[in-house]
Order: sequence, then C-alpha cells, then structure tokens
Amino acid sequence: MAVDLSIPVLVVDDYKTMIRIIRNLLKQLGFSDVDDAADGTEALGKMKQKRYGLVISDWNMEPMTGYELLKEVRTDDGLARTPFIMVTAESKTENVIAAKKAGVNNYIVKPFNAATLKSKIDAVFGE
Amino acid sequence: MSKQSHAEVREAADGLRDKDDISLIDVLSLAEASIHSMKSFIDSLDSKIYSEFREIAEYIQNTKSEIGHLQANDLQSKHIPEAGEELSAVVTSTEEATTKIMECAEAILEADPSDHEAYQQTVNDKMMIIFEACSFQDITGQRISKVVETLEHIESRVSRFAAAIGAEDSDQPASEKEEKRKKRKKDLILNGPAQEGAGVSQDDIDALLNG
Repeated sequence: MAVDLSIPVLVVDDYKTMIRIIRNLLKQLGFSDVDDAADGTEALGKMKQKRYGLVISDWNMEPMTGYELLKEVRTDDGLARTPFIMVTAESKTENVIAAKKAGVNNYIVKPFNAATLKSKIDAVFGE
Repeated sequence: MSKQSHAEVREAADGLRDKDDISLIDVLSLAEASIHSMKSFIDSLDSKIYSEFREIAEYIQNTKSEIGHLQANDLQSKHIPEAGEELSAVVTSTEEATTKIMECAEAILEADPSDHEAYQQTVNDKMMIIFEACSFQDITGQRISKVVETLEHIESRVSRFAAAIGAEDSDQPASEKEEKRKKRKKDLILNGPAQEGAGVSQDDIDALLNG
C-alpha cells in the first residue's frame, strides 16, 4: 500500500528547531499537510479538532510527555487507531518496551536521518 | 566555670538570640566559647576526659576551617551563576547557528535551478553563511570548558569538606521539589539521552518492536 502523502501529519516536539527539521524532512518526502504542537496537551487538543493520519512525537516534554500522549490516544475511541511514531533521544530498552506496550507503531532514536524517517513511515503504512 | 568565662558564653549566646539568621559558623563559635569557658572545670577532670574534650575542640576548629575553605558564598554568588550563564549562552548560540543553517538549506531547496547562474550564486552565498554559522562550535567549546572547570572547582571543594567532616550520603531527597522531580522521571521513564554506546541502537529498537 502506497503512503498517502496528502494525509495530515502532526509533529509534536518542545524544540522548535526539531519541529523545523522534521517539517523539512516530511516536505522532502512529499507530505504537504503538516501541523505541529509543543507538548502532549496541545497535541491532544489539536487531535480532537482535526483527524490526523500520522502523529510523530517526541517523548520528553512538559507538561504532558509523548508517552502520556500515546497512552491517552490509545484509550480514546475516536483517536485510538491513529498511527503513532515516537522520535526521541530516550534510547533505553525500558522506554522502547513501554512504548510498544502502550501501542506505538514505530520508534526512532535521535539523532536520525531522512532515510530512517522514510523507512519507518513506510513500515507503519505497510509498504 | 569562672565568672569571666561564664559572662563570655552568656554574651555569645545573647548575640545569637539577637540574630535573625544563625549560621553554622555562629553555632560552632558558641560551642568553642563554651568549651574554652569550661577549661578550669576540664582542668580538674582526669586526663582521659580532658583529652576527649580537646579532640572535640580540635574537631570543631577543623570543621570551622573546612567550612571556610568550602567558600560556599563564593560558589553560590559567583561560580554557579556564571556556569549557568555560560550554558544559556551555549544553548542560544547553537540555536542561532542551527536556525541560520536551516534557513540556508531551505533557501537552496526553494531556489529555481532552471536559472543556472542565479541558482549557483544562491548556493555559493548560502554555503558561505553555513560556513560562518559553523564557527559557533569554537565558541561553545570554550564556554563548555569554562563550565567543566567550574564543576571541577566545586567538586574539589565539596569533596574536601565531605572528607573532613566524614559526611555520608542520605537516602532522603534534598527537598520536596527534588522528590517530585525524581518521581516524575521514574513514572514517565524520562532517562534522557544516553551516553555514547550506552543506549540501544536503531537496529536493536527495530528488533524489540518486531520481536
């Protein structure tokens, strides 16, 4: 199944620089509808206003972390099926296992490159 | 205890009562005055007890000296704020440099390659700005060296003080704020970036997710 490049993507990160990097990479990959949020709370609010086809979130944010956002999304009937990729510097095994248990679709450790982002998005959409 | 030494102790104690902010130095000074004032009494005791009192007095004197060497006020008012300012400057300069480099990359990506001459000029101009922006590395390196120097300075003073008073680490958190911070880190698995080679690789992560 080809990735639908018109799907709305939500990038969640508390560092504007990282949002800009991911936005540029997504643009290069062909995604055109990209929004952003500075933490889990803001992201959850945006997700309740607009149906996103993919969420790419950092883990360590305040007040709501990406891990908490993932758990909130998976327990909300309206949002539970949203593809969710964690992009984070948290690279301990316990983080990966916790994210998997919470229902993450893929997990990218920072620093990462465009090829890794593309391959993980492709994997999420079954390519 | 003689009347004169009794008066000295009373004077030191009265001095403390009048102070709003009593420091450890003040308390140690009072303890020292008390011990000196008891000299005549101590003289009448057997030599073993006298020796123990003398050791206590020496310990107090040594502790006072070590507290002086710690120069806690100097650390708090000068070294730690300066280190914080250096780190803030590092964050600012790296952010500025990253923004400049990204602006250049975005401009190159958006430039029209069909006009070959104009495109080449844009690429050359933006590349020069990228080279200039990379000079942040030298300055941030120097700033971080200063912070490392400050940390080593603090470490040596605190280590010397801890060794002098035979300090042992407490299991209790330093403050309620610290306790909350630790609990949040544990509950939300906030480990932060791992040291080089300490975290799992992307391949390991892929294996964990697909396993």
